[in-house]
Amino acid sequence: MKRYRGIGASQGIAVGPVHLYCPGKVETGRIFVGQTAKGQLARYEEIKAAAREELTRLQAQCAQSAPEQANIFAAHCDLLADVVMGQEITQLVHSGQAMLDQAIEQIYNKYAAMMDSVGDPMFQERARDIEDVRDRLLRLCAGQTDGGMGLEGPCILAARDLLPSDTAALDRDKILAIVTEVGGQTSHSAIIARSYGIPALLGVGPFLSELHEGQTVAVDACEGELLADGQEEQWAQYRQRAQAFALRAEQTAAYLERPAITQDGVRVSVTLNIADPRDEELALAPYVDGVGLFRTEFLFLGRAELPDEEEQTGVYRKVLSAFGDKPVILRTLDIGGDKQADCLKLPKEDNPFLGKRALRLCFDRPDVFRTQLRAALRASTAGNLWLMLPMVGSMDDIRRAKTFLRQVQEELDGEGTPYSHDVKLGIMVEIPSIALLAEQAAEEVDFASIGSNDLCQYLMAADRLNGEVSAYYQSMNPALFRLIGMVVDAFSRRGKPVSLCGELGGDPQAAVVLAGLGLRKLSMGGDAVPRIKERLCGIRMDQAQAAARQVCRLDTASAVEAYLRHTFSPNGQ
Amino acid sequence: MYQRETTIRNESGLHARPASEFVQCAGQFQSEIYISQVGSQTQANAKSIIMLLTLALSKGTAVRIAASGPDEREAVDQLVALIDSGFSE
Repeated sequence: MKRYRGIGASQGIAVGPVHLYCPGKVETGRIFVGQTAKGQLARYEEIKAAAREELTRLQAQCAQSAPEQANIFAAHCDLLADVVMGQEITQLVHSGQAMLDQAIEQIYNKYAAMMDSVGDPMFQERARDIEDVRDRLLRLCAGQTDGGMGLEGPCILAARDLLPSDTAALDRDKILAIVTEVGGQTSHSAIIARSYGIPALLGVGPFLSELHEGQTVAVDACEGELLADGQEEQWAQYRQRAQAFALRAEQTAAYLERPAITQDGVRVSVTLNIADPRDEELALAPYVDGVGLFRTEFLFLGRAELPDEEEQTGVYRKVLSAFGDKPVILRTLDIGGDKQADCLKLPKEDNPFLGKRALRLCFDRPDVFRTQLRAALRASTAGNLWLMLPMVGSMDDIRRAKTFLRQVQEELDGEGTPYSHDVKLGIMVEIPSIALLAEQAAEEVDFASIGSNDLCQYLMAADRLNGEVSAYYQSMNPALFRLIGMVVDAFSRRGKPVSLCGELGGDPQAAVVLAGLGLRKLSMGGDAVPRIKERLCGIRMDQAQAAARQVCRLDTASAVEAYLRHTFSPNGQ
Repeated sequence: MYQRETTIRNESGLHARPASEFVQCAGQFQSEIYISQVGSQTQANAKSIIMLLTLALSKGTAVRIAASGPDEREAVDQLVALIDSGFSE
């Protein structure tokens, strides 16, 4: 049996016939040889009309089954009709500088590159859309009609990459799994696959030429493998595993609606990490104990103007009211580091993670900080607001921020603007210095939330975005668990709530240790909620405490991982 | 040439659907139409979705719409009215 490794971007297992989807790359510069500019421009109009017809048809197909995806085709129609690109293409053909297909390629590539250069994910998505429309036009230039994916029965879809228009038109009932040569966790295909619950294995590298249409393959996105050339017995095994996985996934999903209570009756709060709140996330409100991290950066990204107080108040109100009495921990602006905002016109720093980021930036831009504090306080009447300061490194930071808050409160009092007087003020513990001073910090604030991603990166001195040092960024290192334990003890002894809101909270193995260290509130992305609740419901607190003690005695991250796998793996796998 | 200023009032700014509606509306006129942020030199062809998106015009931004051609007055007035309508958001 042949094995290919890839990135499991959407969990699951599937076995079935493979469908090789290879939309031909059109070679430009040959189609229009010898044709007049006038003839080519007439052809250009026909091609645009044909493309519009295809897009309209796709849009109509999607309108019922996936209305959000249908918008992609409407956006593509707009690009097709773009006058600036149209004029530039016409100009190139008219002057004889390029033939039609070359002109389309050149101009579309130019604007895709321009969108990419902005460095904002929203613009990058538009760049992919431009390339998508470019390929549609080039295919039509070559006289090829849209064959669609040519799906007949249920199959495993294999492609080099999938374009936005491919995934939007995806017939999800016929797709058992997706395998692509390129892409990763955050690519478009990954996001769609996860939202449809289809297993996806991406970034496999070249494999298409080694498979033939219709042969049986297995995709195991859990193990990150694509398997080909197997025997019937082997496929039978994979079919069994696929069924077992589907059953397990169903069992896990059922935990969403239950509270997380250990077998000996200890309740652990499970809360959400959210950013720009999507309706699906807000719909989870009944099943979680609030929001453990409401990131507010999205309001500031990808725009030229700062969001004003009204806009911010509106968004904060929406989230607070969705969660009612349940606490919503709103983190004040955490721009800088890996997140840059055009509207703040920040200078480039050599070492942004150690630079003027988050609270430091807010101290430097009191207008921005005050506006956010005012908006948050004004929204506080809509729910249960807890305000959290990011990047706190010293007691000075805390006291300085408190002065700001007091001033804003006095201002609102003076105006007679209503706000809740029960708003709690807390800190994000992500800089080791404040973790070591947790006892003092706990005297000064109402609560703390441990930001394990940054705490790990600052503790291990390993940039979490630099692939070259990913082996040094060890979130399972006993040093991190020891430090977390210290913070939890310091706050708990003073009766102050402490939670954790990093990636670690969404990892079932780590969640056991964190509960054992005394954390009674874990915050995570919505997709992690069922699996964390399931794990916590399946253990006793004394087991978790024993595990935490043992983990803190171990000396390497790999020893911690091996110990946890051995002690807590589900179903003995 | 005829021009007017207004302020973007819908939540999502001139992105996605509102941007699309704006460009489609502009496309109905013969005049050349440009949109810019008040106080900025950078202006975008109002009939081009790509150029419009690159201006990243968000809620609260003051914009100027200028047109020249046979239907300049009608074009500017209609586009300003569209922005002022808040794109039914």
